[in-house]
Parts: sequence; structure tokens; C-alpha cells
Amino acid sequence: MNDISEAFISSLGLILFLDAELLEIILLSFKITFYAVLISSILGIPLGAFLASTHFKFRNIVVSILFGMMGLPPVVVGLFVYLIFSRSGSLGWMGLLYSPTVMIIAQVILILPIVCCLTFQIIESLHTRYHEFFRSYRIAKLKSVIAYIVDSRFELTTVVLAGIGRSISEVGAIIIVGGNIDHITRVMTTAIALETSKGNLDLALGLGIILLATAIVLNGFILFLRGKYLKTPGSTI
Amino acid sequence: MASEDTQIRINDLSFNIEGKTLLHNTNLSLNGDGITVLLGANGAGKTILLKLLTGLLIPCSGSITFEGGNLSIKTRAFVSQEPVILRRSVLKNMLFVLEKITSEKSTLAKELLSLMGLDKKEHQNALTLSAGEKQRLCLARAIITDPEILLLDEPTANIEPNSTTLIEKYLIQKVRSSRKIFFVTHDINQARRLADEIVFIHTGRVIEHSSAKNFFENPKTKEARKYISGKIN
Repeated sequence: MNDISEAFISSLGLILFLDAELLEIILLSFKITFYAVLISSILGIPLGAFLASTHFKFRNIVVSILFGMMGLPPVVVGLFVYLIFSRSGSLGWMGLLYSPTVMIIAQVILILPIVCCLTFQIIESLHTRYHEFFRSYRIAKLKSVIAYIVDSRFELTTVVLAGIGRSISEVGAIIIVGGNIDHITRVMTTAIALETSKGNLDLALGLGIILLATAIVLNGFILFLRGKYLKTPGSTI
Repeated sequence: MASEDTQIRINDLSFNIEGKTLLHNTNLSLNGDGITVLLGANGAGKTILLKLLTGLLIPCSGSITFEGGNLSIKTRAFVSQEPVILRRSVLKNMLFVLEKITSEKSTLAKELLSLMGLDKKEHQNALTLSAGEKQRLCLARAIITDPEILLLDEPTANIEPNSTTLIEKYLIQKVRSSRKIFFVTHDINQARRLADEIVFIHTGRVIEHSSAKNFFENPKTKEARKYISGKIN
């Protein structure tokens, strides 16, 4: 009990005095999360909007696959990406293994289906209201997809926040493809796993507190937005 | 612009869903101007016919042709019973339906909003408008596309009386002379006020088509007589 209390106090010290190692790990975590969510949102939101508002032959199969991918096991994704980017893999020549770039790629594979499917669900309900109007005015497909995204912008904010939450707390995939290399690919979750196994509880706890605070702030923000948007006319959540 | 020379011909038009025929071999010849009111009881097939005319539904058989004019699919505008309002300002709702926004169109949008009594609300979130205001906005939005045919599906159902009056006044004074209007309503009195001709539909079949005066003074079928007297609705 004493050891835990001491580690906790020591971890608070690391946070308060802005420990350089701690800061480096936190900044890299945020950087990887930022790019992974940015890429996932740029790809996933329009794709989700397109799928929700378009009917084509294999649409249900595509949607089913995407929904299935929401539950991809991170370690399997990590292994898959590892095999592709390892020296003998098809993209091994790029030399990206154990770099932040490949960690972002793994994160995108995990987050993209989540962003895409949540967008699909939100825009599908909007499509029910709008599609006859768009058809009667012969609104072009691109214009209608943009309108769906613009008109569900508040709800889509929560999708992006959900992506951030998933990304920042992920450990299974990025520890395989990033290798948890100090000063290069060490992020909050992988550092916590390592420092705990080493018995270095103060750094692990310090990072844990930051991670927990981030998750609480994100979820609080989602709840705040949800409450706010529920009061917005035309809300679909 | 639709003219008297234009004829809208409906030839053997049928529409089925899941083996159920909702509109039976319909044949009609309609003038390209004035207000045609589609009357009939609930589920008679009025909205189906209106959506077929709009192009929102594809007929199972038959065709709709426009003769003697240049009417095309691009010249129709449809206003549904439930107003569809985008989550943006009133003015932006108006401009959304335009392919290209010019200064003339922006000015026209403001003029139309003014005619509809919405000029002071052009920057307001359109979703915060009342039901009647939303329907007036939908009508103004339809007009800005300059359609030759305006198809209105019970646009005054469930809205306040002053909005109904404003819409009717606008249709009669500003729109009727320059466009063909199809108007679906359940309100017999409204049909009397607006209609030039009546198409009466009963269980998916057009059983009467005549001038409004003839229809209300000498209905030919017992179904029409019952409908006018309020015995079926």
C-alpha cells in the first residue's frame, strides 16, 4: 500500500514538474492520435455518408464487412501490418516498421471502420428525411453527400471524439508495429505496459493519470455535445 | 413556362408495390396550365399519381408525356406534406436547390421570402420556424427553381390558418397564371377555392375528371357525391 502511495505521489510530481520523458511520450501519443483520427475522418466520414445515401448491388455486403471490422482485434491488426511492413513483407522496402508512421497506419485500420460505421448510422437517418427532396430537385450526388455531412456536423463531432478515444487508448497493435522504442515509438499505453512490467510504477501511474484524464475529458465533452445537440432543432441523436 | 397549348398525357399508367396495385391503368389528358386538384379518400392513390408525375416513382407500366411544349423533368418542383428543411438558415435553404447562385437569384430568393412573410427571418435557423413557416419556405424554395409544373402534396395540412391563406393567395395571384399546378388536398372547401379542374381518384382508379364547376355541381359518380358530402374521407 505504501509503495503505491509513494508511486502515486511521485507520479504527480512528474506531471507537475513537466518531466521531459513524460512530456515526450504524451506528445508522441497525441501526434499519432491526431494523424490517425484526421486520416480516418477524411476517409471515413465521406465513405460513411456515401454508403448511407447510395444504393448499389453489393452495398449490404460492404456495410456488413465494415460493421464487422469495428470489432477488429488490435493485436491481429498489429500482426497483419507487421507482416506487410516487415523486411520480407510486400511493403518492407519502405522501411517503415518501428516508426510512428506505421503506428498511424495500424491505428487508421482500427479507427476507420468505427468512424465510417458511426457516420453511416447518423447519416442513414438523415437520408430517410432528405432523399426524396434531393431526388425531386435533382441534387447532384456530391452536393447531397456534402449536405449530409454539413447537416450532421454536430453529431459527427462525437464520431471524431469516439475515434480519438479509441486511438489514444489503443495498445495491442501499436506495440507490435511500433516496437515501443524509447524516444521513437514509445507512447502512453505502450510505456505504461513496459514501466509496469519493470516495476517503475511512478512513470506508469503518471502516464495512467494523463490517459485517464484524457478519456474522462473526451467522454465528458461527448456528453456535453450530446446534451447540447439534443436541444438543437433537427437533432438526429 | 407551361402554356395552354401544352398537354400532359397520362397513358395506361399503373403502379404496383409487392403485387398490390395502387394505381390502375390511368388515362388522362390535362391542360398545361391552371390548377388541377387531385381529390380522393385516404389511400386512394393521389400521392402515388403526384409522385409519378414528379418522377419520384417509376411507373410499372404506361407513360406520361408532355406534348406541344418543352416540358422536361428539370422543370418540375415537388413540395411534400412534411416540409423538408435543411439544417441551415432560411436563405441558405432557398439557395441550396439552385445549380448556380447568381446575384439575381439571391435577390429573387429575398423577394420570394418577403412574399411568403419570411423576410425578417432569412438568417434564422430554418428548423426553428413554425410548421406553417416551414411550408411557406418549401413553397418559395420550389418557386425559385422556376418550375413549369409545381406539384404540391397536401402543403397546407397541419399548418396554421394564416399560413394556409398566405399560400393559397400566393398560388392564385402569383403562380397560377405562369405555371401548371397539381395540388393534392383533402379539404373540399380548399379544392373549391383553388381548382380549375378536378381529378377524383377512388381506390387507385381515376373515376372523374372534369372542371371544378362541373365536379362540384354535377358529380357523375356516387363515390364523388359521397366524398363531396363528407360521407367518405
